Amino acid sequence: MSTQHAKAAERFIRNKAQEEWHNETLRLVREKRDRQALLLPCWEQLRQLASQIKMHTITHLDKYIEQFANQAEANGAIVHWAKDAREHNDIIYAILGEHQVKKLVKSKSMLTEECHLNPYLISRGIEVVESDLGERILQLMDKPPSHIVMPAIHIKRQEVGKLFEEKLHTEKGNSDPGYLTHAARLHLRNEFLTAGAALTGANFGVAATGDVVVCTNEGNADMGTSFAKLHIVSMGIEKVTPHYQALSVFVRLLARSATGQPATTYTSHYRKPRKGCQMHIVLVDNGRSDILGDADHIQTLKCIRCAACMNTCPVYRRSGGYAYTYFIPGPIGINLGMLKSPGEYYDNVSACSLCYSCNNVCPAKIDLADQIYKWRQQLYSLGKADRTKKLLSGGLRYIFTRPALYGAALRLAPIINKTPRFLIYNNLNAWGKGRELPAFAKESFTRMQEKGKIT
Amino acid sequence: MSTKNDILSNIRSHSGKTYAMPVIEPDAIRYTDTAARFMEVLKSVGGSAIELQEGEDINARIMSLYPEARSIASNLPEIRIATINPDEIATPHLLNGTALAVVRGEIGVAENGCVWIPQNVKEKAVCFIAEYLLILLDKNNIVSNMHEAYAKIGFNDYGFGVFISGPSKTADIEQALVIGAHGAKGVVVFLTA
Repeated sequence: MSTQHAKAAERFIRNKAQEEWHNETLRLVREKRDRQALLLPCWEQLRQLASQIKMHTITHLDKYIEQFANQAEANGAIVHWAKDAREHNDIIYAILGEHQVKKLVKSKSMLTEECHLNPYLISRGIEVVESDLGERILQLMDKPPSHIVMPAIHIKRQEVGKLFEEKLHTEKGNSDPGYLTHAARLHLRNEFLTAGAALTGANFGVAATGDVVVCTNEGNADMGTSFAKLHIVSMGIEKVTPHYQALSVFVRLLARSATGQPATTYTSHYRKPRKGCQMHIVLVDNGRSDILGDADHIQTLKCIRCAACMNTCPVYRRSGGYAYTYFIPGPIGINLGMLKSPGEYYDNVSACSLCYSCNNVCPAKIDLADQIYKWRQQLYSLGKADRTKKLLSGGLRYIFTRPALYGAALRLAPIINKTPRFLIYNNLNAWGKGRELPAFAKESFTRMQEKGKIT
Repeated sequence: MSTKNDILSNIRSHSGKTYAMPVIEPDAIRYTDTAARFMEVLKSVGGSAIELQEGEDINARIMSLYPEARSIASNLPEIRIATINPDEIATPHLLNGTALAVVRGEIGVAENGCVWIPQNVKEKAVCFIAEYLLILLDKNNIVSNMHEAYAKIGFNDYGFGVFISGPSKTADIEQALVIGAHGAKGVVVFLTA
């Protein structure tokens, strides 16, 4: 019984060259992250502080989110509260309607992805333009992101070249990244100048000052908000951080963990609306406050969405973002998906070798692998355990708890070494796919010790 | 209002163990020569910094660096060669096509090449839309790290500020680094004494 993840991963690895490229490229991003981390002697101290600040903030979330909202309102922003995705979308649609906005230009926001904002608005006649290059490529292809920081990491330059030929009328056969990026710059510049509203996400919201902080390399959030008279911020309530002192810790960690840069090109602080313009902030719960009550999984709320856990994950690197059934892939996505709906997203918990690499790179020290392990323990009670594995572990338990039987089985085990291959490597043995069994020793350790062969 | 209360009360009803705020005093890196480190890091992220000599003519230096620049946007009085004043335009859209923007930065950060630019012009677009960006920065205002920077930054009444570290960039096509995504294709910082 294969999970959805295993089946999708099988499709991904059929293209060996693409699998290798994906694996190597993300591994390089991980190495860039390591180089940046090693440059800072206080790196581990920063991670520890980030974890502690986040635990403090999310366990005092009512206080900080209210302080943030009050500050933002005092600065002249208009704050909205959304219980779930539907409310979030309705609020944004109403704001756009009030200002008769026909075109919305967006910078990257995983929260709007979570709320399915784009299809909601498009079906109501709003033109929605993604402005992050990777997001724009995917939007024109009608595909979802496969990574939360590098959304189009699975797309080859030739595909982008072909796409732009058709949509942006670029030269035939030209798939040079520099050329294509320049074409997108010209195309999106026009969108920035003509959109009626700009939507951004929020990397951080500062409670003490009411600042919304947005980090980009492209400058697309800044371009959008510099022209449209309306700026809408879509922000998850867990993105609040108490003050600048706390923020400085996260800003130092974010880009280094995400892409191995010392900082993103732009770290923008939006405190007040532009003169004569409006700034709306939509604070979204959508299940976050429920997670606060789940001691096993509360730490997912520490996430700053840097994607370091994906870049380091051997399963993610070799299976691609589309192998996961939740829109956020990798270790953090496995956990967030289970928190959203275990019955719907349980397939992803198998996508982990429990190597714990994610725990070791997470800038906020989320116990990602421990949580995945805990979910696996619950699969049986959810009615989602793999029956073959369950049967097998039941059988092994029977043997392991009976020493005499275990001894007998061990003496017989070397027979496997001489068994014809087709009896071992067949469809009944999932563990024999793509790997070889080690040879069983002729004698067990206990027997060797009894015979005095071990001194 | 009721949604706000619902969310706040749901947060409270799910609250369990609470955690204290740690003392935030990491042994953050400090450089003896912050300007030298700043210049080095800025170069590594695709920008560059030039130390101006005392009494050097800024306008002449700009013209020699950007001989092709026909439209120069700046509201700084010392930039006499400016062709557009971003304080005096009716809409930010009129800045489209600007070749060079000259703005003043207030704090440089050695560890990551960032310069803090509080909005000090009517249209913040000027920092992003020009093909090239030139930032004037007092060499004595370069701190070692972001903790020091955040302790010092200030805002003007415009209520916007940005840390800029080098030119706009993207690697969204096959992780190939391309300079000049949406913002400036080149960033030069003039360090003044």
